[in-house]
Amino acid sequence: MEKFVFFGGKGGVGKTTVSCAYGLKCAREGLNTLVVSTDPAHSTSDVFDQQFDDDPAPVEGYENLHAMEIDPDEEVERHLLDIKRTMSDQVSPGIVNEIERQIELAHRTPGAYEAALFDRFIDVMRNAEEYDRVVFDTSPTGGTLRLLALPEFLQSWIDRLVHKREKSIDLFEKAAIGERSARKRAAEDPIIARLVERKEMFEFAAETLRNDAAFFLVLNPDELSIRETSRAIEDLSGHGLAVRGLVVNKVAPSPDEGEEGTGATYLRQRYETEQERIRHIEAEFDQPIVARIGQRVEEVKGDLLAEVAAELGIPVASEVRA
Amino acid sequence: MTLVERIAAYREVVEEWLHGLYHGMIEHPAYELIEKEAEDNDDAFMFACFADAFGIPSPVSYYTAELLPYLGDEFEQWERRMWDRESLIERKGQQYHF
Repeated sequence: MEKFVFFGGKGGVGKTTVSCAYGLKCAREGLNTLVVSTDPAHSTSDVFDQQFDDDPAPVEGYENLHAMEIDPDEEVERHLLDIKRTMSDQVSPGIVNEIERQIELAHRTPGAYEAALFDRFIDVMRNAEEYDRVVFDTSPTGGTLRLLALPEFLQSWIDRLVHKREKSIDLFEKAAIGERSARKRAAEDPIIARLVERKEMFEFAAETLRNDAAFFLVLNPDELSIRETSRAIEDLSGHGLAVRGLVVNKVAPSPDEGEEGTGATYLRQRYETEQERIRHIEAEFDQPIVARIGQRVEEVKGDLLAEVAAELGIPVASEVRA
Repeated sequence: MTLVERIAAYREVVEEWLHGLYHGMIEHPAYELIEKEAEDNDDAFMFACFADAFGIPSPVSYYTAELLPYLGDEFEQWERRMWDRESLIERKGQQYHF
């Protein structure tokens, strides 16, 4: 099993429950495990009845289990302040306002949120030596997919920027007449240095996602979530990321044989429809169903979480490939 | 001053003039051309970095904002140029000496 395990899926299918349960399962088998929630509507705190924040903290009552919740807003703010601090050292006061406007603008664009989340993401993957397994509970399908598709896309963009910059520096060097020094030099250009640094970061992310990460999709036995899952698999494989398996969550139980009341009839019909859909999932998808988790009446937490963990057919395998 | 010295001094003046002439007619316009080209190239770079300054959403502006502290002066000049530039012909026209 890979070191990084991602759970994705449509909103409300129970990704957090499944991620936490899997984290618990890993921890129980002796792996030092970290559960990372990247969903803006954090519910890891609800599952474990404990407040988490941006730094990994041990989960009370469980051994080897840690959790953290990433807050992209905080990261955007930190990034913004960082740049402003650098700016006050570098830029002459006359044009600070002009530049400041642009910096603010860049941090208010919709993409900023994703970029910040992605930064934290990479940060976690980079500094995960102390953990044997890192479980990512990701935000609903669309957001996650865009996030995972980012590295390749950004890499080629940054490549183009570096190329352009190098070309103009080359031209400026050629234009330097005799004694006059060039307006810019490649070797000491902070712009190229920054861009290259970024590029290496994206390369690391792309490589880690491709080689050291496993993806699982969580779905419910209903039409919408099945369709969204099939789209998600297509998108992910389009980016060279294979989905390892499917977790079918919230499966209705069947009533006992003799029961014939209204409730029992409803439940029986529902059970049959869902089983039909699960058979459909088995037939349609190339990915195996790694777990069928029954619907619970109560919120999944505490002992229930351990029960769910037991139902998960995802191997833990103590040898970590990383 | 001997004759030899006077000839040497004269030759120096001529050489300086010739070099100046060469520089003014051949070298300088060429360098200027290269410099203009470099500036154009720079503009394209800036635009790729900060397209959102002109209302075009850019997926990388969050990252390229990190470059702004180092691009301070350039950025302001660039923005002014982009707003002011009337036509491509006007800009390209500057590159030729008639």
